[in-house]
Amino acid sequence: MFGRHHRQLTKARLDRLGAAVVSRAAEVDEREIEAVAASPFLYARVRARIAAERERREAGESWLTMLTVAWRAVPAMGLAAAMAFGVFWFGGTSNISPESLFTDEVMFAANDAGVEHVLFADRDALSRDEVFDTLYGSGDSGGSDDAGLSR
Amino acid sequence: MANGSDSVTPEATDAELVGRVRSGDEAAFEELFNRHRRRVAFIINRFFKRREQVEDVIQETFVKAFFALESFDGTHDKSFPAWLARIATNAAYDELRRTGRRRESELSEEETAHLEANLRAEGEDGDIESALISRDLAHKLLARLSPEDRLVLTLLNGEEASVAEVAEMTGWSIAKVKVRAHRARASLRATLHRFL
Repeated sequence: MFGRHHRQLTKARLDRLGAAVVSRAAEVDEREIEAVAASPFLYARVRARIAAERERREAGESWLTMLTVAWRAVPAMGLAAAMAFGVFWFGGTSNISPESLFTDEVMFAANDAGVEHVLFADRDALSRDEVFDTLYGSGDSGGSDDAGLSR
Repeated sequence: MANGSDSVTPEATDAELVGRVRSGDEAAFEELFNRHRRRVAFIINRFFKRREQVEDVIQETFVKAFFALESFDGTHDKSFPAWLARIATNAAYDELRRTGRRRESELSEEETAHLEANLRAEGEDGDIESALISRDLAHKLLARLSPEDRLVLTLLNGEEASVAEVAEMTGWSIAKVKVRAHRARASLRATLHRFL
């Protein structure tokens, strides 16, 4: 019983001591407060920190914007890639092996069915005989009848 | 910030000044700063004794207040000092957490002997105030507590705020303030017990 009473006394005493310690630590020095509050550069420093904080936030916002754009672009690019792959895979070219894409025929497009061979045949082009006929035609005095026969 | 120093009048209420700061009036913020810097210094001086640290936390308080002005509703004029006090308390708490339990708060042999002698003497004559030493030594003792314990004890015992007021200033619930105060007192008892 004595021990319990002693402990309570000690606890109460320590509580009083603790309260006194806190009160002493939290004592306000009026002169110190006046000196700090009246510091001529205090507001200038606040303004400088506001400007620095504003710049930091703006830089953070630009990064955030880029991140947002990337965040939105990645799914779109993924979807486009998936569609391209799907078109490639199901587009009837699935029997082409990668090795066959690098053969000589493919490289020189010898058997390229996709190339349209165009023949420029000019039906109105002059033949050699017509040229001769024009030069040495029947209208000329020195002309021969051979030109007319060759036609 | 735009500068509109010509239009600031001493009669303007805090709410009016806040509205003008929102619209980019730098002079209005300076007026708010001049009105409340002493009160903010008063709050922060309870937690820190070094002048540089006090000035730093004052600056941090007003920077935070500037960027948080959008969230201030300003329904009545008296709410601005309370709102600013809450920001100051949180800035002090952040600084306490940042510095943590610093090694430099360790007591020297002389301080330890001095404290032991004074605490024992207190048991004989019961004069706590005369027994307890300098503010510097009291700060060193409190520096051994966690930041939460220091905050709640300083507000309750130092600022003599009620539990509800501490809850308002810290943003904690009333139950949390009570539990934290109980633990903080136990922690302080254990700290002091080492010197008895």
